[in-house]
Amino acid sequence: MGAADTPQQILDPKKRYQAGVLKYAQMGYWNADYAPKDTDVLAVFRITPQEGVDPIEAAAAVAGESSTATWTVVWTDRLTACDMYRAKAYRIEPVPGQEGQYFCWVAYDLDLFEEGSIANLTASIIGNVFSFKPLRACRLEDMRLPVAYVKTFRGPPTGIVVERERLEKYGRPLLGATMKPKLGLSGKNYGRVVYEALRGGLDFTKDDENINSQPFMHWRDRFLYCMEGVNQAAAQTGESKGHYLNITAGTMEEMYKRAEFARDLGSCIVMIDLIVGWTAIQSMSNWCRDNDMILHLHRAGHGTYTRQKNHGVSFRVIAKWLRLAGVDHLHAGTAVGKLEGDPMTVQGFYNVCRDTVTKQDLFGGGTIGHPMGIQAGATANRVALEAMVLARNEGRDIASEGPQILADAARWCQPLRAALDTWGDITFNYTSTDTSDFVPTASVA
Amino acid sequence: MNAPEQAPARIDLGAEFRDAGIGEVLDALERDLVGLAPVKRRVREIAALLLVDRVRQRLGLATEHPSLHMSFTGNPGTGKTTVAMRMAEILHRLGYCRRGHVVAVTRDDLVGQYIGHTAPKTKEVLKRAMGGVLFIDEAYYLYRPENEKDYGQEAIEILLQVMENQRDDLVVILAGYAERMERFFESNPGMKSRIAHHVDFPDYSDTELGEIAQRMLAGWNYRFDEAARVAFADYIVLRRRQPHFANARSIRNALDRMRLRQALRLFESGATVDAEALTTLTEADVRASRHFQQAAA
Amino acid sequence: MRITQGCFSFLPDLTDTQIAAQVNYCLEQGWAVALEFTDDPHPRNTYWNMWGLPMFDLRDPAGVMGELKACREANPETYVRINAFDSTKGWETVRMSFIVQRPTAEPGFRLVRQETQGRMLRYTMESYAVGRAPEGARYAP
Repeated sequence: MGAADTPQQILDPKKRYQAGVLKYAQMGYWNADYAPKDTDVLAVFRITPQEGVDPIEAAAAVAGESSTATWTVVWTDRLTACDMYRAKAYRIEPVPGQEGQYFCWVAYDLDLFEEGSIANLTASIIGNVFSFKPLRACRLEDMRLPVAYVKTFRGPPTGIVVERERLEKYGRPLLGATMKPKLGLSGKNYGRVVYEALRGGLDFTKDDENINSQPFMHWRDRFLYCMEGVNQAAAQTGESKGHYLNITAGTMEEMYKRAEFARDLGSCIVMIDLIVGWTAIQSMSNWCRDNDMILHLHRAGHGTYTRQKNHGVSFRVIAKWLRLAGVDHLHAGTAVGKLEGDPMTVQGFYNVCRDTVTKQDLFGGGTIGHPMGIQAGATANRVALEAMVLARNEGRDIASEGPQILADAARWCQPLRAALDTWGDITFNYTSTDTSDFVPTASVA
Repeated sequence: MNAPEQAPARIDLGAEFRDAGIGEVLDALERDLVGLAPVKRRVREIAALLLVDRVRQRLGLATEHPSLHMSFTGNPGTGKTTVAMRMAEILHRLGYCRRGHVVAVTRDDLVGQYIGHTAPKTKEVLKRAMGGVLFIDEAYYLYRPENEKDYGQEAIEILLQVMENQRDDLVVILAGYAERMERFFESNPGMKSRIAHHVDFPDYSDTELGEIAQRMLAGWNYRFDEAARVAFADYIVLRRRQPHFANARSIRNALDRMRLRQALRLFESGATVDAEALTTLTEADVRASRHFQQAAA
Repeated sequence: MRITQGCFSFLPDLTDTQIAAQVNYCLEQGWAVALEFTDDPHPRNTYWNMWGLPMFDLRDPAGVMGELKACREANPETYVRINAFDSTKGWETVRMSFIVQRPTAEPGFRLVRQETQGRMLRYTMESYAVGRAPEGARYAP
């Protein structure tokens, strides 16, 4: 952006700290010449200024409101090294194809943040600024977190390598499905679904986000019956199996109690929902570390702020925060499925968490709704998966030959044949709302 | 083997040759290697034989997978390793060798130090060479008749087994001096009978060594000036008379020493240098060799 | 029963040609290939017997297939698996593992339930084969 008519920072202290209202840019929250330090926390916001608000002033306001500023000049600034603590908006670009929207880059000094606390980080970066009046909308698109800061977090309690080593499962995606119907089954019936799916060939089954401890199934019943299903299936297949026991509850005390019961029953994994909050997530991550437990996170609630392109927080950022907070698994969306997700963008989220996620989450309905039963549904999934991996490793092009490979396997695998006959043609072709706004820029080779 | 194709009545050998892409390898062999006329001819013959064999196989005339193990004999520095690489490439292109890589070893890589050490060592090398060519330099050292407890015999036996049973998986090339190899074969008839092709590498002539020197220098961005070129021709004559003469390898070593002298000369002159000076070896760099001093003495 | 550990247990047993193709894939990825065998296939039995060391720097599956043949001859009626190890930073673990031999009959596992306080259970899996004979004689036909 041109800088000719940009309001300049007022450097003369007398003028700068005169009581009254200044533009944020004049207060020093805009600095086009600022070269971010390696230790700075960087954030990219997509802002939509109100009618008549200068985009640079809006960017400076974002920097100000997410760091030291308030709406007016305060003399107490002068008691601090305020030049350092002030976040600096240093770059702004119009969003391609989106009139009135701008990407703005903001740099924050590392000292603005407490170590090892996502709560503190988010209180700054998405604290006040999203309600700020001069902006019609604001979205946090991405962040760059310096290594020094990242190292103050413990990260995932298990990690993909150790998870695979614990399960002794290598060389193929792990197969999982969520138990359906989400609500209403009794513990005994619910455990039956778990058992059938694992016995049929899935590696994991999973509680859904809102299964906690309802009148039709109290949590202890759910845990007991699910673990019976897990162990029975493991004994009958000679394979490690697991069920993600959802331990989300109203208080930390209750969550710890449920986690301990899961551990005592021999479960290898527990799950929590994103809505428990950052602090609870970090606490459960520590507990999982201490108890050799894999931690699965269901991103319940994220859609309230990740879905709209002009306002909220990109899932890209949520994925980074979750990686710091320390979860092993995370729903990053399915490239093909009933829920929101643009395939290209989903691939990018997987890249962000690369080594934390490999679940191939075939939507639960496809397993449980199989015409020959749940076991057959699971078997169809597993056979299809193994046949595809085998073929890929043999050098076949699974993108183009996929249907043929599956048809060949279906010749000897009745459950797979039935699945292909039932769902062979289904697609979920709705346009995604969270697609990328970018234009490829020419780069120097 | 796949089901036999419908055998065509006539086959265009030229097309076969082009499709296999061995022409390029043979041309490169011709172009890149100085001299070695008899070797090049032998390689061409072997390539032709294999090509014809392949066609015969397709027509249902050929019998079994031909034995491809070879012995390369000749003095050191006569291009045995280099030709082995090209041979591997030819075998690969003709489909007689799946990968076409060369694993070059000597006795120490195959033979162990204590009981039970040799078999795993040899097998490990064989496994690495599978799909390619195992090149055993100075292969006769595997056999030490003076020591009846020598573990070399164990390595030979494992080798023989694989050479016989896994012809499609591995081609073995034994290399070394001609007479010693001959003696080795006399005492190991089993080995001799499994070698299908013998290739003899003659020593290079003085002119050929001169040519080799100039090509090596060009490869490193150096050159002789005229006087140095003449001096180097004299050097070759002198060097050949000395013990441990190793053809192209001796030339390479001599050139390395001459580059050292050139560097010292430039350094001690204290003058500024240009690209010309940095690339040129002079007569003094050549004639400072001890072989000239000894000849003069 | 059929133990379904490994990548390809839900497919019909792989032929040697199919195994060689998978080994070829592993070698192309730069992974070291190793053979392991056991007659105690409990899913928590991490350490099967190694058939020699992992094979590093191979270019062609023939070397592995030769060892597989030897391993099968020396250890009939056991489970044999092929593991591919990736030493790349960030992995440094097995990247692929699949069973290439099983005993003729697989009796499987018994699930032992120890009842404790409340309705809580402690689960243990016991291999029938391991229970009935010492190592080396468990799957004798």
